[in-house]
Amino acid sequence: MDSENHSITLPEIYRFLAQSMHYPDPEWMNADFIQFLNAFLQELHWTDEADTLNTALKSSDNFLEDIQIEHTRLFINAVPHVAAPPYASVYFKGDGTLYGNIAEKTKQFYREKGFYLSKEDDLPDHIVYELEFLALLENTDKTGAQEFLEDLFRPWFTLFYSKVTKEARHPYYRVMMKLIDFFTREEL
Amino acid sequence: MSLKVTRRKFLQTASLAAASVPLAKVVSAENGFVRKPFTPPGSSAGTTTVTGGICEMCFWRCQLVGKVRDKKLVKLEGNPKSIDNGTAICARGNAGIKLLYDPDRLKYPMKNVGERGNPKWKRISWEEALDECAAKLKAVEEKYGPHGIAMFPHGASAKYPMHFFERAVGTHNVSEASFFQCRGIRDTAYVSTFNTAPGEHVDMANAKAILLIGCHFGENVHVSHLKRYLKGLENGAKLVVVDPRYSASAAKSDIWVQIKPGTDTAFLLAIMNYLIENNKYDKKFVAAHCDGFEEFQKGISHASLDWAAQICDIPASQIKEVAELLAANAPNVSIHPGRHVSWHGNDFQRLRAHACLTALLGAIGVKGGFVKPKGPKVKGISWAKGHHDGAHNLKEMADKYHFAPPGTPTELIRDACITGKPYPIKGCVIWGQNPMQTIPKPQKTVEALKQMDFVMCVDVMPTDITMYADILLPEASYLERYDYIKKGTQWNFADKHEQFISARMPLVEAMFERKDEVWITNELAKRMGHADKIPVNSLEEKVEKELASAGLSIAQLKKEDGIHIQPGKDPYGVSEDFEVLLYNEDIEDSGYPGVPTYIPVEEVPKGFARLVYGRSPVHTFNRSQNNVWLYNAMPVNPVWLNDESANKMGLKDGDEVSMVNSEGVKSTFTSVVKVTPGIRKDTVYMAHGYGSKNPMLTVGKGAGIDDQALITKIAIDPETGCSGMRNNFVKLVKSGKALDIPA
Amino acid sequence: MQYGMIIDLNRCVGCHACTIACKAEWEVPADKGRNWVHRLGPSNTPEGLASTYYPGLCNHCNEPSCVPACPADTIEKTFKDAKTGKTKTMEVAATYKDPFNGTVQIDKDRCLGCGACADACPYGARYVNTDLVNEEIGGEGVADKCSYCMPRVEQGLDPACVQTCLANARIFGDLDDPNSEVAKYVKKGAVGLTSAAVNIGPNSRYYGNKKDMHLLTSTSTPMEMPSASLRRSLMARMKPGFNKAKNLGFLGLAGAVLVKGLSEDDQD
Repeated sequence: MDSENHSITLPEIYRFLAQSMHYPDPEWMNADFIQFLNAFLQELHWTDEADTLNTALKSSDNFLEDIQIEHTRLFINAVPHVAAPPYASVYFKGDGTLYGNIAEKTKQFYREKGFYLSKEDDLPDHIVYELEFLALLENTDKTGAQEFLEDLFRPWFTLFYSKVTKEARHPYYRVMMKLIDFFTREEL
Repeated sequence: MSLKVTRRKFLQTASLAAASVPLAKVVSAENGFVRKPFTPPGSSAGTTTVTGGICEMCFWRCQLVGKVRDKKLVKLEGNPKSIDNGTAICARGNAGIKLLYDPDRLKYPMKNVGERGNPKWKRISWEEALDECAAKLKAVEEKYGPHGIAMFPHGASAKYPMHFFERAVGTHNVSEASFFQCRGIRDTAYVSTFNTAPGEHVDMANAKAILLIGCHFGENVHVSHLKRYLKGLENGAKLVVVDPRYSASAAKSDIWVQIKPGTDTAFLLAIMNYLIENNKYDKKFVAAHCDGFEEFQKGISHASLDWAAQICDIPASQIKEVAELLAANAPNVSIHPGRHVSWHGNDFQRLRAHACLTALLGAIGVKGGFVKPKGPKVKGISWAKGHHDGAHNLKEMADKYHFAPPGTPTELIRDACITGKPYPIKGCVIWGQNPMQTIPKPQKTVEALKQMDFVMCVDVMPTDITMYADILLPEASYLERYDYIKKGTQWNFADKHEQFISARMPLVEAMFERKDEVWITNELAKRMGHADKIPVNSLEEKVEKELASAGLSIAQLKKEDGIHIQPGKDPYGVSEDFEVLLYNEDIEDSGYPGVPTYIPVEEVPKGFARLVYGRSPVHTFNRSQNNVWLYNAMPVNPVWLNDESANKMGLKDGDEVSMVNSEGVKSTFTSVVKVTPGIRKDTVYMAHGYGSKNPMLTVGKGAGIDDQALITKIAIDPETGCSGMRNNFVKLVKSGKALDIPA
Repeated sequence: MQYGMIIDLNRCVGCHACTIACKAEWEVPADKGRNWVHRLGPSNTPEGLASTYYPGLCNHCNEPSCVPACPADTIEKTFKDAKTGKTKTMEVAATYKDPFNGTVQIDKDRCLGCGACADACPYGARYVNTDLVNEEIGGEGVADKCSYCMPRVEQGLDPACVQTCLANARIFGDLDDPNSEVAKYVKKGAVGLTSAAVNIGPNSRYYGNKKDMHLLTSTSTPMEMPSASLRRSLMARMKPGFNKAKNLGFLGLAGAVLVKGLSEDDQD
């Protein structure tokens, strides 16, 4: 990076994106977060996205619960079906089930780069882990981060992105998908 | 985890977008990566073998080992140390890993913020979920009494919570599908005859003849049970299969009795009458062990070969042939008690006839006969029995179903829910059971659930019933938890007598926030004011204590590769005081026939055929429908239709059809026709467990016809209250047109 | 030595455990199979009403039609006899018949995924696994089929399907060893599914009673050799990055033949 005037780095952006895909908890999904997201979108000149989010926010009695319900429906269990499980192996090289060989490969990749999951209550190819990993690797091994993006992240994320965009009923996840796509795709 | 960027800090940057642009340089960095093609390495590459698995894809529970690579369960295999299933496991057992890693599995506690049947789920914490479940159940208990709570349990993990609600909370309203819709009648009928529940304990491996009534082994698969059967056939046993359909077993039979459905009791009575009239029964055994022979003989004397031939729609000569074959091979004959036996509402009498025939042939405690294995003793640990009287026991209040299996018949519970009489039932706990598919007439179940104050479900997977939960709790699967003690003997009594004890141990850790039954139940108990009665603090402790009763421990079992084997005992022989009640006075006194009696079933109306269902080797009811491997093995359940009928109806093999029953209920989904000479004209058949409605399932939804939805007429077995489910009549529907099925 | 498998239909109960164990062992996509179980009947046969199963798998044929169909470059490969240590070097493409154990195997690293071998198999025993794209070469995936579980057998294990079979209906061993159980079955009358046109020496064989064997052979025997899709193999040969210099001549030569074949293909 050659710019001297920025104080938010790509690793930080990855961490922010990872955070945004956690189950919405009032600990972090609060006014500060929404304000930050709004500013972020404004800086990107994504005014349409910012407006949609603000409209949703204003028209809702319980914005947090809306997103919680949406998160549950899209990513955990839902009606009419688990819309878009946030795991690579559901989309890429396998039977659409969890812990396919792509998840194993992903875990191996983390290891090769010297990282281990601190607790294994979720699968290695969950989007939150992958984004957090990118944040870490971006600091120390930009080439590695690029490899990860190309070989392990983008091939499934593009499918996940379109699935979420199609299934989402709340603008929040559509916007987040667009942001993740923006910061992980090959050319900006 | 939390982001170190605040809004203030963020705003200090002049232009975030501009700062981000240089990313292009980063992402276009040179790629020094060499791609290697991925080749599946096989289950033995880089894996460790974890022992102590006990399957629960079905309830036979084979012993497993897991091949684990870097915390991922790669493959399941039979435990080579097993003297039960050995290295063999069935298709479902093999597919267990696809259940484990099913993305549709329940992961976190969820609250329904929508409505029952049309839920809107929100993930909540365990704390919130448990607080709410306990508060709502407690409220029901306080307002309506403990009997205001009904429970529908199924499977190994449901026993502990079932005992909690039965014994600590104190409700009689517990209804296990395995009893009331499956094998309960068999158990009580045999208890009323032999004073013991029979299990499937016939020594087929060493039999000279085997009689199967409706059993369709091969389509119905339980590993060590099939080993016995196949060993018997290999040893030259004659096989008689009584079935309206040329089943997988009929295809291996020496005699296929193509019986008219519902008339099996008449067939059995005629055989017994023939044996008595022709002095071909075991007089010595009868004299030594049987009570009420005279009443029995008199009671069945009307059952001539011709009488039965006409009722059963089979040649009299064939009944005689079967009787002769059984007599010639007695006492080494296996009269199989069956497993799923709740068919026609006349089943208690039929099962009594099975037991009586077994006794007349002297086929008890002898090679090839009814022989209970002598297994090891392990004491179960659970909630202490409370002091609850018969008050509020629906069965006793109704003064019906005097020979019902333990618990309360499902129909009585649902009727009470819907009518509020004799008392309201307003709280419902469903644990591992899917009453929408296990209990006929799902519309009634919906009605019962809708009027509840509170409904909670605990399961591994979303099922049709979970759509009606207020709170839905995720349970650890059989591969991720301790629990069941599996014990027994070697399957072939001709081999060295050995006993085994094994306990279910996790092959991998439970992921997400899945919890086991003891943890969930105890947390509820604490919140409902029963903390003082909690028998164990964890599932592991429960297993440890149970094993201790047999001088074992988890550590010891692990040392022994998951299975402890010890010398066994010869299971053959009959104790002197073994008593068979051919005529049972208690049954007579309760107002039912004390001698096995054939009660006619409703005739098939013109233009219809009787809907008969059975098992598919790749599914355990609807439980396995979402399993991607099993689904692909048999995506639909073909409807068996007699070839001559099909010809007249203009249907071809593979035609897509739906069904409508005589009460006008239509199947939701379609299936294909299987045109075959191997089924009677008055009967259509399909495998059970298809056509799940829950849209949460991504694989199994809408695959095949759901026979359960078409079973709207339930014949209640008067002695037991169990649900007979083969009294429904259907037409096939092609291109929107219902076609008459010619007689 | 020639490995072979016997399916004893008198024992088989059609439970599908073999097919699912295989999927687990080799990560076979859910909608594909290295092996299969087809239920046959109930149908009338001259021997009476019958119902049985066709548990099928690669036949590891004596004269496999899939091997010559492979358009990949040949390389020299040295095979070793597991028993004697004897070696033999042959020119092989990406699929070959092992000269010592008689099994037909696929070199996954060099497979183009063109599917020509799958098309050439009269038993439908091969498929292209699109999850396994060979990225160095490109293509649609990699051909896959039953390997008789050689990696397991080399470790002294049974093939996965044999191990899990509750009926002991699958028997694996060396057909060339007259004392092996499989050879004894052949002596008793176990047969492969062959017809006048398809007679390439299948080494997976079936044994059963008359009516079951009648039902099996009358429904499941391939009656003609498949005509290879020449278009597919032509396309495979034209893959960029694959035209190594030494093969250019070969490609040109074959090209003329293939172009002819292509136009025939186009006629239907």
